[in-house]
Amino acid sequence: MTLTRAWLMLLVLSAASTTLAASGMRGTVFVVLVLSLAGGKAHVILARYLGLSTAPSIRAGFDLALILMLIVFAVLGAAA
Amino acid sequence: MEERAEGRPTLLDELPGELMMWVLIVSELVVFGAGLAAFLAVRITDPSGFAEAQSHLHRAGAGVNTIVLVTSGWLAACAVQAAEAGHIGRLRSLVAGAIALGAVFLVIKAAEYVDLAAAGISFETHAFFTFSYLLTGFHAAHVIAGMILLAVVAVPGSPRAVETGAAFWHMVDLVWVLLFPVVYLL
Repeated sequence: MTLTRAWLMLLVLSAASTTLAASGMRGTVFVVLVLSLAGGKAHVILARYLGLSTAPSIRAGFDLALILMLIVFAVLGAAA
Repeated sequence: MEERAEGRPTLLDELPGELMMWVLIVSELVVFGAGLAAFLAVRITDPSGFAEAQSHLHRAGAGVNTIVLVTSGWLAACAVQAAEAGHIGRLRSLVAGAIALGAVFLVIKAAEYVDLAAAGISFETHAFFTFSYLLTGFHAAHVIAGMILLAVVAVPGSPRAVETGAAFWHMVDLVWVLLFPVVYLL
Protein backbone atom coordinates (compact mmCIF):
# COMPACT_ATOMS: atom_id res chain seq x y z
CA MET A 1 0.00 0.00 0.00
CA THR A 2 1.42 3.39 -0.98
CA LEU A 3 1.32 6.33 1.42
CA THR A 4 -1.44 7.97 -0.61
CA ARG A 5 -3.54 4.80 -0.54
CA ALA A 6 -3.00 4.60 3.21
CA TRP A 7 -4.19 8.20 3.56
CA LEU A 8 -7.26 7.48 1.41
CA MET A 9 -7.98 4.41 3.52
CA LEU A 10 -7.79 6.57 6.66
CA LEU A 11 -10.23 9.07 5.12
CA VAL A 12 -12.67 6.27 4.25
CA LEU A 13 -12.45 4.77 7.76
CA SER A 14 -12.91 8.24 9.33
CA ALA A 15 -15.95 8.92 7.14
CA ALA A 16 -17.38 5.54 8.13
CA SER A 17 -16.98 6.40 11.84
CA THR A 18 -18.70 9.75 11.39
CA THR A 19 -21.54 8.22 9.33
CA LEU A 20 -22.06 5.53 11.95
CA ALA A 21 -22.21 8.12 14.73
CA ALA A 22 -24.61 10.29 12.71
CA SER A 23 -26.90 7.31 12.09
CA GLY A 24 -28.05 7.44 15.70
CA MET A 25 -27.13 3.81 16.28
CA ARG A 26 -26.26 2.98 19.91
CA GLY A 27 -25.59 -0.11 21.97
CA THR A 28 -23.04 -2.89 21.88
CA VAL A 29 -22.97 -3.28 18.09
CA PHE A 30 -22.27 0.44 17.74
CA VAL A 31 -19.44 0.26 20.31
CA VAL A 32 -17.85 -2.71 18.53
CA LEU A 33 -18.16 -1.14 15.07
CA VAL A 34 -16.77 2.25 16.09
CA LEU A 35 -13.84 0.70 17.94
CA SER A 36 -13.16 -1.68 15.02
CA LEU A 37 -12.93 1.31 12.68
CA ALA A 38 -10.55 3.01 15.16
CA GLY A 39 -8.47 -0.17 15.24
CA GLY A 40 -8.36 -0.18 11.43
CA LYS A 41 -7.11 3.40 11.40
CA ALA A 42 -4.49 2.67 14.06
CA HIS A 43 -3.30 -0.37 12.08
CA VAL A 44 -2.85 1.71 8.91
CA ILE A 45 -0.94 4.42 10.80
CA LEU A 46 1.37 1.85 12.41
CA ALA A 47 1.94 -0.10 9.20
CA ARG A 48 2.36 2.69 6.66
CA TYR A 49 2.94 6.02 8.36
CA LEU A 50 5.24 4.56 11.02
CA GLY A 51 6.72 2.02 8.63
CA LEU A 52 6.01 -1.19 10.54
CA SER A 53 4.99 -2.90 7.29
CA THR A 54 8.73 -3.56 6.90
CA ALA A 55 8.88 -5.24 10.33
CA PRO A 56 6.11 -7.88 10.28
CA SER A 57 6.94 -9.46 13.66
CA ILE A 58 6.91 -6.13 15.47
CA ARG A 59 3.79 -5.02 13.61
CA ALA A 60 2.05 -8.21 14.75
CA GLY A 61 3.02 -7.41 18.34
CA PHE A 62 1.61 -3.88 18.07
CA ASP A 63 -1.56 -5.22 16.43
CA LEU A 64 -2.03 -7.74 19.25
CA ALA A 65 -1.57 -5.04 21.93
CA LEU A 66 -3.96 -2.78 20.02
CA ILE A 67 -6.61 -5.50 19.77
CA LEU A 68 -6.34 -6.26 23.50
CA MET A 69 -6.68 -2.56 24.34
CA LEU A 70 -9.73 -2.20 22.08
CA ILE A 71 -11.33 -5.29 23.63
CA VAL A 72 -10.94 -3.66 27.07
CA PHE A 73 -12.48 -0.45 25.68
CA ALA A 74 -15.34 -2.42 24.09
CA VAL A 75 -16.15 -4.33 27.28
CA LEU A 76 -16.12 -1.11 29.34
CA GLY A 77 -18.01 0.80 26.64
CA ALA A 78 -20.71 -1.84 26.29
CA ALA A 79 -21.10 -2.14 30.06
CA ALA A 80 -22.32 1.47 30.40
CA MET B 1 24.83 -13.20 22.17
CA GLU B 2 25.83 -15.84 19.65
CA GLU B 3 23.52 -14.26 17.04
CA ARG B 4 25.12 -10.86 17.58
CA ALA B 5 28.58 -12.37 17.25
CA GLU B 6 27.61 -13.81 13.89
CA GLY B 7 26.29 -10.37 12.86
CA ARG B 8 22.77 -11.57 12.33
CA PRO B 9 20.09 -8.88 12.82
CA THR B 10 17.99 -8.95 15.98
CA LEU B 11 14.27 -8.17 16.14
CA LEU B 12 14.98 -4.59 17.22
CA ASP B 13 17.08 -4.06 14.10
CA GLU B 14 13.85 -4.39 12.10
CA LEU B 15 12.41 -1.27 13.77
CA PRO B 16 12.27 1.68 11.41
CA GLY B 17 13.74 4.86 12.90
CA GLU B 18 15.09 5.58 16.36
CA LEU B 19 14.59 3.00 19.12
CA MET B 20 14.04 5.73 21.73
CA MET B 21 11.23 7.22 19.66
CA TRP B 22 9.53 3.82 19.72
CA VAL B 23 9.97 3.65 23.49
CA LEU B 24 8.26 7.05 23.67
CA ILE B 25 5.46 5.93 21.31
CA VAL B 26 4.75 2.82 23.40
CA SER B 27 4.87 4.88 26.63
CA GLU B 28 2.40 7.42 25.28
CA LEU B 29 0.05 4.69 24.05
CA VAL B 30 0.11 3.07 27.49
CA VAL B 31 -0.57 6.40 29.24
CA PHE B 32 -3.42 7.41 26.92
CA GLY B 33 -4.77 3.84 26.85
CA ALA B 34 -4.93 3.79 30.66
CA GLY B 35 -6.59 7.22 30.67
CA LEU B 36 -9.21 6.15 28.15
CA ALA B 37 -9.88 2.90 30.02
CA ALA B 38 -10.32 4.89 33.26
CA PHE B 39 -12.69 7.27 31.43
CA LEU B 40 -14.81 4.31 30.22
CA ALA B 41 -14.75 2.67 33.65
CA VAL B 42 -16.04 5.83 35.38
CA ARG B 43 -18.66 6.20 32.63
CA ILE B 44 -20.25 2.93 33.81
CA THR B 45 -21.22 4.67 37.08
CA ASP B 46 -23.14 7.46 35.31
CA PRO B 47 -23.94 6.63 31.66
CA SER B 48 -26.74 9.19 31.31
CA GLY B 49 -24.62 11.96 32.86
CA PHE B 50 -21.75 11.14 30.50
CA ALA B 51 -24.10 11.09 27.49
CA GLU B 52 -25.54 14.50 28.45
CA ALA B 53 -22.07 15.93 29.00
CA GLN B 54 -20.83 14.51 25.70
CA SER B 55 -23.61 16.34 23.85
CA HIS B 56 -21.84 19.64 24.68
CA LEU B 57 -18.72 18.65 22.72
CA HIS B 58 -18.15 19.58 19.07
CA ARG B 59 -18.52 16.14 17.57
CA ALA B 60 -18.45 17.41 13.97
CA GLY B 61 -15.37 19.53 14.71
CA ALA B 62 -13.63 16.52 16.20
CA GLY B 63 -14.51 14.51 13.08
CA VAL B 64 -13.00 17.23 10.91
CA ASN B 65 -9.94 17.21 13.16
CA THR B 66 -9.49 13.50 12.47
CA ILE B 67 -9.33 14.26 8.75
CA VAL B 68 -6.96 17.16 9.45
CA LEU B 69 -4.56 15.03 11.51
CA VAL B 70 -4.45 11.99 9.21
CA THR B 71 -3.83 14.34 6.28
CA SER B 72 -1.09 16.07 8.23
CA GLY B 73 0.40 12.64 8.99
CA TRP B 74 0.34 11.81 5.29
CA LEU B 75 2.29 15.01 4.52
CA ALA B 76 4.82 14.15 7.24
CA ALA B 77 5.24 10.62 5.85
CA CYS B 78 5.74 12.05 2.35
CA ALA B 79 8.33 14.45 3.83
CA VAL B 80 10.36 11.46 5.03
CA GLN B 81 10.38 10.08 1.49
CA ALA B 82 11.44 13.49 0.16
CA ALA B 83 14.26 13.64 2.72
CA GLU B 84 15.46 10.17 1.71
CA ALA B 85 15.44 11.28 -1.94
CA GLY B 86 17.45 14.39 -1.02
CA HIS B 87 14.70 16.79 -2.06
CA ILE B 88 15.19 19.34 0.71
CA GLY B 89 12.86 21.98 -0.74
CA ARG B 90 10.04 19.50 -1.16
CA LEU B 91 10.52 18.06 2.33
CA ARG B 92 10.37 21.54 3.88
CA SER B 93 7.17 22.35 1.96
CA LEU B 94 5.59 19.08 3.10
CA VAL B 95 6.64 19.66 6.71
CA ALA B 96 5.26 23.21 6.53
CA GLY B 97 1.95 21.76 5.33
CA ALA B 98 1.94 19.22 8.17
CA ILE B 99 2.62 21.98 10.72
CA ALA B 100 -0.08 24.22 9.21
CA LEU B 101 -2.63 21.41 9.54
CA GLY B 102 -1.48 20.94 13.14
CA ALA B 103 -2.35 24.62 13.67
CA VAL B 104 -5.78 24.05 12.07
CA PHE B 105 -6.34 21.17 14.51
CA LEU B 106 -5.50 23.44 17.46
CA VAL B 107 -7.78 26.24 16.24
CA ILE B 108 -10.74 23.82 15.94
CA LYS B 109 -9.93 22.39 19.38
CA ALA B 110 -9.63 25.87 20.88
CA ALA B 111 -13.05 26.79 19.44
CA GLU B 112 -14.54 23.89 21.36
CA TYR B 113 -12.82 24.91 24.59
CA VAL B 114 -14.03 28.51 24.16
CA ASP B 115 -17.64 27.38 23.64
CA LEU B 116 -17.47 25.07 26.66
CA ALA B 117 -16.07 27.89 28.79
CA ALA B 118 -18.77 30.27 27.51
CA ALA B 119 -21.37 27.71 28.61
CA GLY B 120 -19.83 27.74 32.08
CA ILE B 121 -18.40 24.24 31.70
CA SER B 122 -15.12 23.60 33.50
CA PHE B 123 -12.98 20.72 34.76
CA GLU B 124 -15.21 20.41 37.80
CA THR B 125 -18.63 20.49 36.09
CA HIS B 126 -18.77 16.71 35.68
CA ALA B 127 -16.36 13.77 35.72
CA PHE B 128 -16.79 13.55 31.95
CA PHE B 129 -15.26 17.00 31.52
CA THR B 130 -12.46 16.28 34.00
CA PHE B 131 -11.41 13.36 31.79
CA SER B 132 -12.12 14.99 28.43
CA TYR B 133 -10.18 18.17 29.32
CA LEU B 134 -7.26 16.14 30.66
CA LEU B 135 -7.11 13.71 27.72
CA THR B 136 -7.71 16.20 24.91
CA GLY B 137 -5.60 18.90 26.61
CA PHE B 138 -2.67 16.50 27.07
CA HIS B 139 -3.08 15.45 23.44
CA ALA B 140 -3.16 19.08 22.29
CA ALA B 141 0.08 19.67 24.19
CA HIS B 142 1.60 16.84 22.17
CA VAL B 143 0.34 18.45 18.96
CA ILE B 144 2.18 21.67 19.91
CA ALA B 145 5.33 19.69 20.79
CA GLY B 146 5.07 17.80 17.49
CA MET B 147 4.77 21.02 15.49
CA ILE B 148 7.91 22.39 17.16
CA LEU B 149 9.78 19.12 16.60
CA LEU B 150 8.79 19.00 12.91
CA ALA B 151 10.02 22.58 12.44
CA VAL B 152 13.32 21.75 14.16
CA VAL B 153 14.05 18.59 12.11
CA ALA B 154 13.15 20.30 8.82
CA VAL B 155 16.07 22.72 9.22
CA PRO B 156 18.91 20.20 8.78
CA GLY B 157 16.57 18.01 6.73
CA SER B 158 18.57 14.81 7.25
CA PRO B 159 16.48 11.67 6.60
CA ARG B 160 17.12 10.31 10.12
CA ALA B 161 16.04 13.56 11.81
CA VAL B 162 12.93 13.96 9.64
CA GLU B 163 11.96 10.32 10.21
CA THR B 164 12.25 10.81 13.98
CA GLY B 165 10.16 13.99 13.93
CA ALA B 166 7.56 12.38 11.69
CA ALA B 167 7.38 9.33 14.00
CA PHE B 168 6.46 11.60 16.91
CA TRP B 169 3.83 13.25 14.71
CA HIS B 170 2.35 9.86 13.75
CA MET B 171 2.17 8.95 17.44
CA VAL B 172 0.06 12.09 17.97
CA ASP B 173 -2.10 10.95 15.06
CA LEU B 174 -2.36 7.42 16.45
CA VAL B 175 -3.44 8.62 19.90
CA TRP B 176 -6.13 10.84 18.36
CA VAL B 177 -7.73 8.04 16.29
CA LEU B 178 -8.12 6.07 19.56
CA LEU B 179 -9.17 9.06 21.69
CA PHE B 180 -11.76 10.44 19.25
CA PRO B 181 -14.22 7.50 19.26
CA VAL B 182 -13.97 6.94 23.01
CA VAL B 183 -14.49 10.57 24.10
CA TYR B 184 -16.70 11.85 21.25
CA LEU B 185 -18.66 8.92 19.85
CA LEU B 186 -19.35 6.17 22.40
